[in-house]
Amino acid sequence: MTRVLVADDSETILLLMRTRLELAGYEVETAADGQEVTEVIHAGEPGRLPDLLLLDAMMPRKSGIDALRELRAAGVDTPALIVSAHQDATDADAPGDLEVSGYLTKPIDFDRLLASIAELTA
Amino acid sequence: MSPSLANRLRIGFAIGFAVLTAMAVIGVGRFIQQRQDFEDAIARSYQVEMAARVQLARGANPASARSVVTAQADRRQELRDQISSDTRDTALLVAAGLIAGLTGAVLLFSGLIASMRRPLEELVEASGRLAAGDRGARVEVGGLSETATLGAAFNEMAGQLEIEASQRDQLDRLKDEFVLTASHELRSPLTSVQGFAEILMLDRDSLTPKQVDTVEIILDNCRHLVRLLNDLLDLARSDAGRLAITPRPTELAPLIDDAVRTMRAQTDGGGQTLTQRVEPGLPLVNVEGDRIRQILVNFLTNAHEYSPEGATIEVTARVVDADVEIAVTDDGPGIPESQLEHIFERFTRGDAGMTQRVGGTGLGLAISKSLVELHGGTIAVDSTVGAGSAFSFRLPAAARASR
Repeated sequence: MTRVLVADDSETILLLMRTRLELAGYEVETAADGQEVTEVIHAGEPGRLPDLLLLDAMMPRKSGIDALRELRAAGVDTPALIVSAHQDATDADAPGDLEVSGYLTKPIDFDRLLASIAELTA
Repeated sequence: MSPSLANRLRIGFAIGFAVLTAMAVIGVGRFIQQRQDFEDAIARSYQVEMAARVQLARGANPASARSVVTAQADRRQELRDQISSDTRDTALLVAAGLIAGLTGAVLLFSGLIASMRRPLEELVEASGRLAAGDRGARVEVGGLSETATLGAAFNEMAGQLEIEASQRDQLDRLKDEFVLTASHELRSPLTSVQGFAEILMLDRDSLTPKQVDTVEIILDNCRHLVRLLNDLLDLARSDAGRLAITPRPTELAPLIDDAVRTMRAQTDGGGQTLTQRVEPGLPLVNVEGDRIRQILVNFLTNAHEYSPEGATIEVTARVVDADVEIAVTDDGPGIPESQLEHIFERFTRGDAGMTQRVGGTGLGLAISKSLVELHGGTIAVDSTVGAGSAFSFRLPAAARASR
């Protein structure tokens, strides 16, 4: 089953994502911030990485951007979608050298999100 | 304390008055003295001549007496020449004194004018700079006490203005910051409300029709909130000068097609006719396409929401002088003149009676105006109550690529 790791500092948003993604048939893991994202990935069995990362750009302790930068440095090349509260999230949010598969804004357009996930994990 | 203009004038006048009075007294005194000496000498000469003539009458020593008479006549002539030359000298002396006094006065005044001119010119120049927005404009305080006082007052005023302006700037920044943060913070809860309502609708068959209606109202209001947040954000950015566009040479016809396609479902649903008339061969315009589409959709949404069922809405684009004019015209109820002048201000909306079914934020036209102006264009409205409204904007045509 396709596994998605979702990180957001709002429990409600995590519950929303989990509910919606599980309804769509995905297996969902959650993290409350960027720190937890790296912990979850490093604690997991090698070769059992999530199939997709869905990271909030701004979180306390460690942002989604910083977490992704660390993972990329550690050689993790899992596709990643960045969720931003900015109205017009663009590459300006992340440095150009960071490999990001796409940007989403809040409120999330789930039709678009599910289409992106399906495409990236195909 | 620097010397004052009034004191300088007072001293100048006093010196001038003293010099002129002295000249007059000396001149007149000398003239009277010379006249007196002359008359005494003439009188003495006549006395000597008289004595000689008496001797001559007596016949004693006639040769010597005759020579005395002749000598005295010569002497008097000499005295007369002397007095006229002395009088001329005195007159010249007085005239020279007057000229010297006047010259001194002219020098004094031109000196005073010169000493006031520089500070005044500096004040004029600094006022101009201050008016033009240079908050740091100050003058060098100095010179006469009057100009120094004026300069100090100017500097104090400019300083006050600078403090007030920076306080206002800071308030504006705080306001913009607040709107940006608020709009940011509101997005997460809004995402949850909208997301969970959508989850309910995923299983709409298990809901009663009343529940479906309820969830649809929640979703409608979520969309309205998103629009409001986006609009507020645009306005805050525009106020903060952070509403940036990246213009590139753009063809307008596809943008218009796109906006019309976006709106078609809504106008069809309202039984309204939506047409477009784009002049062939329109020049390119230097714009950010998304923003132009945003303006068009705003105009079209207004036309749709304020016009009744069966209304006709038309989008036109044509060349006017060196510009391209894009207009959205409807045959709806029109806008009363009293509302027209405020139509591009924020939170201005049509009649309260209409807003019941109008879903706008009251910010769309204000944002459209900012956006059009950001593109170097102008926005306009023309409306007749009962006949309809036309909202239009003009954009400068980009130089044609090939010619």
